[in-house]
Amino acid sequence: MAGIDVGGGHGKRSANHEIPLIPFIDFLLCLVMFLLVTAVWSHMARIEADARVPGPPKDTEQDKIDKDKELHVEMRGDRKFQLVWKEGSTVVNTIDVPRKPVEVGSDVTFPDLAKKIDEEWKSQGAHRSAADKKFDRAVLHVDNSADFGSVIAVLDAIYAPTREFGPTAEKVPAFQVTFASD
Amino acid sequence: MSGNKALSRFHQPISVPGRRLLHHVRLNFVKNKVVGGGGRSVNQEIPLIPFIDFLLCIVLFLLASFSATGEIPLDKNVKLPSAQNAVDMLEAPIVAVSGTQILVDGIPAGSTRAIIDAGKLQKIDELDAILKNKRELWKQLKPGVDFPGNVILQVDKRVPALVVKSVFQTAAFAGYPAVSFMVGKLASDE
Repeated sequence: MAGIDVGGGHGKRSANHEIPLIPFIDFLLCLVMFLLVTAVWSHMARIEADARVPGPPKDTEQDKIDKDKELHVEMRGDRKFQLVWKEGSTVVNTIDVPRKPVEVGSDVTFPDLAKKIDEEWKSQGAHRSAADKKFDRAVLHVDNSADFGSVIAVLDAIYAPTREFGPTAEKVPAFQVTFASD
Repeated sequence: MSGNKALSRFHQPISVPGRRLLHHVRLNFVKNKVVGGGGRSVNQEIPLIPFIDFLLCIVLFLLASFSATGEIPLDKNVKLPSAQNAVDMLEAPIVAVSGTQILVDGIPAGSTRAIIDAGKLQKIDELDAILKNKRELWKQLKPGVDFPGNVILQVDKRVPALVVKSVFQTAAFAGYPAVSFMVGKLASDE
């Protein structure tokens, strides 16, 4: 064990001392236990929704944006989702996806919707190259009475398709998403 | 002495006890160990100093992570939804929307009741004013730097979409177009 040895020891009392390590270890173990119990192991993350997409401030940019195809995800009613590809105000294609929620703990997910959106982006997405700095846009139309948990599940499904981006080919979501103002 | 020598010529039933401890043990290596005559002593020192170093490292790590996780305030009334395709958190003002009230970094900024009663999308004036103040303060603190416009919405999963859209729109009009929703991280299928 650790101690202080100053040599000698010929006097009445020895000047050498043992440092009491066992209480020190006990104290450290108590500290570790306290910190482990009180620590908040947070696994928070965020899901993005960009308000810049539908209403950019400059008219020139508005013209440019309107020429791109947009995927409108209609979340109305309990039976189905509707995926609508629009070019400006012109409807290009409409697809119905049955609404089949899958419960994961206390949350819901829509894996069928995620799969369909992924297929749609692979077939009709305009910005798929890693060198392309622009992203395809998705607009989410939500019924006012829908609960936020379902809204996040649909947002999660829209973010399912990923693409490579930049020189490092980093994997990023293929769509930028915003809410429709209706 | 001469008497003893004379007696030793004959068988003695009673003898003087001598140094005969453990002579009956036949396992020589055990005998060597027990009497301390082996190469190494069986006594071992427990290396306490590295153990203390290890404990100190754990304590420091826990203290560091303790302060880091404490930076994300989570309203106890808010039950967050979870998502698979979520990204890491960033530093931004947090707007918490629980069942009845709206808070910006813990400061009350409106009620959800008014929006639900109105039944239509509307601007929340208190929230708008607080967010604009924060934006102005940020610009004063960092002149010449572009305002990132990030805001994080911490919304209860049972809140209706009408409230969420109203808060979203108010934040966007107050100069925070990059809106994120705080979620729990679900394990990915892949």
